[in-house]
Amino acid sequence: MIQYHEIAIPPRSEHLWRYTPWHRIHPTKVEEIPTANPIKFSLGDDFKLNSSDEIARNFIHTVSPTSKCLKLQDEKLELDLRCSGHICAGELKIESRGFSSLIIRMSGEAGWTGLRIQGEVEGSLSIALINDLSVDSHLLKCEDWIVSRDSELEFAEMSSGGFMIKSDIRVNLAGKGADVRGGIASNGHGGRHDDNHVEICHDVGYTTSSLVIHSACNDSSHSVGTGLLTIEENANGSDAGQVFRNLLLSEKSRAESIPELEVLADDVKAAHGAASAPIDAAQIHYLQSRGLSKMEASSLIVEGFLMDAFKDIKNEDVISAIRTRLLVHLECLIKG
Amino acid sequence: MVDDSAREAVGDYKYGFHDPENATIRFDKGLSEKVVRDISELKGEPEWMTEIRVKAYQRFMEMPMPTWGNCDMLNQIDFDAVTYFLRSSKGTEKNWDEVPQDIKNTFDRLGIPEAEQKWLGGVTAQYESEAVYHSIREDLEEQGVIFLDMDSGLKEHPEIVKQYFGSVVPASDNKFSALNTAVWSGGSFIYVPKGIHVEMPVQAYFRINAKNMGQFERTLIIADEGSSIHYVEGCTAPTYSTESLHSAVVELIAMDGAKIRYSTVQNWSANVYNLVTKRGVAHSNATIEWVDGNIGSKLTMKYPAVILKGEGAHAEVISVAYAGKGQHQDAGAKVHHLAPNTTSNILSKSISKNGGRSSYRGMLQVTPKAHGCRSKVVCDALMLDSDSQSDTYPTMEVGNSSADLEHEASVSKVSNDQLFYLMSRGHSEEEAMGLIVNGFFEPFTRELPMEYAVELNRLLELEMEGAIG
Repeated sequence: MIQYHEIAIPPRSEHLWRYTPWHRIHPTKVEEIPTANPIKFSLGDDFKLNSSDEIARNFIHTVSPTSKCLKLQDEKLELDLRCSGHICAGELKIESRGFSSLIIRMSGEAGWTGLRIQGEVEGSLSIALINDLSVDSHLLKCEDWIVSRDSELEFAEMSSGGFMIKSDIRVNLAGKGADVRGGIASNGHGGRHDDNHVEICHDVGYTTSSLVIHSACNDSSHSVGTGLLTIEENANGSDAGQVFRNLLLSEKSRAESIPELEVLADDVKAAHGAASAPIDAAQIHYLQSRGLSKMEASSLIVEGFLMDAFKDIKNEDVISAIRTRLLVHLECLIKG
Repeated sequence: MVDDSAREAVGDYKYGFHDPENATIRFDKGLSEKVVRDISELKGEPEWMTEIRVKAYQRFMEMPMPTWGNCDMLNQIDFDAVTYFLRSSKGTEKNWDEVPQDIKNTFDRLGIPEAEQKWLGGVTAQYESEAVYHSIREDLEEQGVIFLDMDSGLKEHPEIVKQYFGSVVPASDNKFSALNTAVWSGGSFIYVPKGIHVEMPVQAYFRINAKNMGQFERTLIIADEGSSIHYVEGCTAPTYSTESLHSAVVELIAMDGAKIRYSTVQNWSANVYNLVTKRGVAHSNATIEWVDGNIGSKLTMKYPAVILKGEGAHAEVISVAYAGKGQHQDAGAKVHHLAPNTTSNILSKSISKNGGRSSYRGMLQVTPKAHGCRSKVVCDALMLDSDSQSDTYPTMEVGNSSADLEHEASVSKVSNDQLFYLMSRGHSEEEAMGLIVNGFFEPFTRELPMEYAVELNRLLELEMEGAIG
C-alpha cells in the first residue's frame, strides 16, 4: 500500500488542482499527517476501506480514525454526520441493493473535515448530501461510485455550508444500461470558496449520464466547477451530457467552469455546455412589482436557479430534503 | 520524390515532394548559445536583439516541457537533432525570375505566383529559415503600408520592431516561444498606417524542404488606428520519415478601431511538430479575427489568443481541425476580456478519422473590471470511426458579475439519415461522406478567400478518400 509521503504533490497544471491546490485544502502543512477526531456517523457498522494512490483519498484514509459501512436494501435512510474538533475525518462505504434512498446531512463546527465515500450501486439509489457545516469550516470530500449493469444512481448535493470546500466525485458506469444523474447546487456567500470536481467514466456501452452544476455566487465568493466526461473505446451507444451554469450576484464574486470531454468511441452522444450570466434585471423588476423587496426577489430567483440543478432527480424525498434546507439557508441570509 | 517508408508512415500527402538541398549556409544540428549568437551575427542584427535572443535561449533551457497536452509526443522531440538555421538563397528577391530555379519550381508547384497575380496585395515566400521572395503592390507601398520579411523589417524599421517585438508574446510565455525568440528567422513584418484599408489579402507561404529542419518564423503585424488588413498564410513540408519542427510566434497589434484578420491553412506533412504561439492585442473598438485551419502535422498545439484590452474590442476565432492517422490536432482559442463591453465569438470544428485525435483547448477569461462582456463558444466534433478520439477542454474564468458567457460542445458521428438521404440522390457513400464533411467545415471555408476555400475542400476530399469501408 502506497504511503501518503510517497505520493508527489499534484501540480496546478492538473485542472483538478488548478484552483484549490493541495496545500490550500490540506489542514496543516502538506508534509504533515495530523491527528484527527472521528466523524460521528449516526448509522453504520465498522468497516475497513482500502487505501488509494490518489493523494486526497490516501490522506483522508491515513488520518481517519473511523470507517463505517452502510448496507441498503430497498430502504429509505437518513444519516447524520457530526464533525467536531480542530481536524475531523471519516470514511464511509455504501452498498446499495434494490430501490433505496439515503439523505446525508453534514453538520458541526470542525475546522477541517475529511470525508471519503465509496459506493456500489446495484438497483437504484437516490442520494442527497447536504453540507451544512459551520461558516469557518474547511471540507475535503472524495466520493467514488461504481454503478453496475442496469442500475441507476441519482446524486444531489447542496453545498451551502463551510468556508472552503473541495469536492471530488468520480463515477464509473461499469455495466451496460447503467445510468447516473447528478445535480450539484452551490450557494456562494461571504468569502466562500467552493470547488466541485466530477468525473464520469462510461466504461462500457449503452450507458447514460447527465450532470448539472449550478452555482450562485454572491459577495466575494469563488465557485469552481470542473468535470471530466470520458467515453471509453468501444463504449458505443453511450449518451452523456453535462451543463455548468453560474449566476453572478455581486461585483467581487468569481466563477470558473471547465467541463471537459474525452471521447474514444464514435457511435455516441456527448455534449456539454457552460454559461455565466448576471441576474436578470427584468425578473427582479417583475418580482418587485409584485411587492417583494429586492433582496427577497433575488433570493427567490436564486432558489429557482439552484433547484433547477436537480431537475433530472426523480426521488421526491431527496428533492424535498434539499429544498427545505435551501429555503432555511436563504431565509437566514435575508435576515442576516 | 517521397521515400516509400515515409509514405507508408504518414500516408498520401499532396505536397510531400522535396527538392535536393542547395543550402548556401547550413548550421550543424543542435542548439547552443553559440548557435543563437551566430544566427544573430549572420543577420547583422543590432546588439539589443542579440541580447533578447540570448536571454530567451537561457529561458528555453530553464523551462520544462509542458506537462499537459500530448506529453508522449512532445517528449519525442529531439532538440539536438534539429537544424536551427539553413539559408537556401543569397537574399530576398523582389523579382520572381531571380529566385533560385529549384525553389521557384517548388513554389510554382504550390501555385504561389499565380495566386499573387490574381488576387493578392503582397506575397512573402519563406523557404527553410528565410524569405526567398517578397513583393507588395506598388499602390499599397505608396500609401505607406510596410510589408517586409521580418529580417528586413528589423533592418529597415528597428524602432518599430524594438517597440513591439515580444510585447504580446514574451519569450518567457512558454518553452516554445522562448525557443522561437532565441532562434527566430524569417516571418512577416507588417505595418498599416492610420486609416488605410488594405483591400486585398497579403499572403505568406512557408515551406520546409530539408530533413530535420526547424522553422522558427516570427510575424509581427501592427494595424494603426482605423486601418484594416487581411493576412493569409499557408504551410507545407515534404514527407520524410524523420521529424521536423515548426515553432512560430505571431504577434498582432490592432490599435483603436483597427481590424486584423489572420487566416491560416496549415497543411504540414504528418512528420512535422507544429507548436505555435499566436496572440493579438485589440485596443478600443478594434477587431482581431483568427481563421485557423489545421489539416496536417504530426502534433499541432496552437491556441490563437486575443487580449481585448480596449473598451468595445471584439475577437473572433474560427478554427477547424482534421486529425487523421497518427495525428493529434490540439487546437483551440483563448480570449481574455480585460476591458468593458468587449465581445468574442469562438467556433471550433474538428474531425477525427483513422485513429486520429482532435482536441479543443480553450480559455475564456473575464477580469473584474470588464463590465458588460459577452462571449459565445461553440465546439462541434465529428468522429468518423471508433479508433479515433475527440476531446474538449474548455476553461471559463469569470470575475465580473455582468458578464454573459456561453459555451456549448457536442461530439457525434455522421448521421446515417444524412448519408442515406444523399445516397438516395445518387451519390456514392464516399461522395456523400465528403459532402457532409465539407458542409461541416462550411462556416470556416466561407471565411476564407475563394482560392483557399476551393483548395481546402479539395484537400479534404483527398483526406476523405478511403474513409468508407
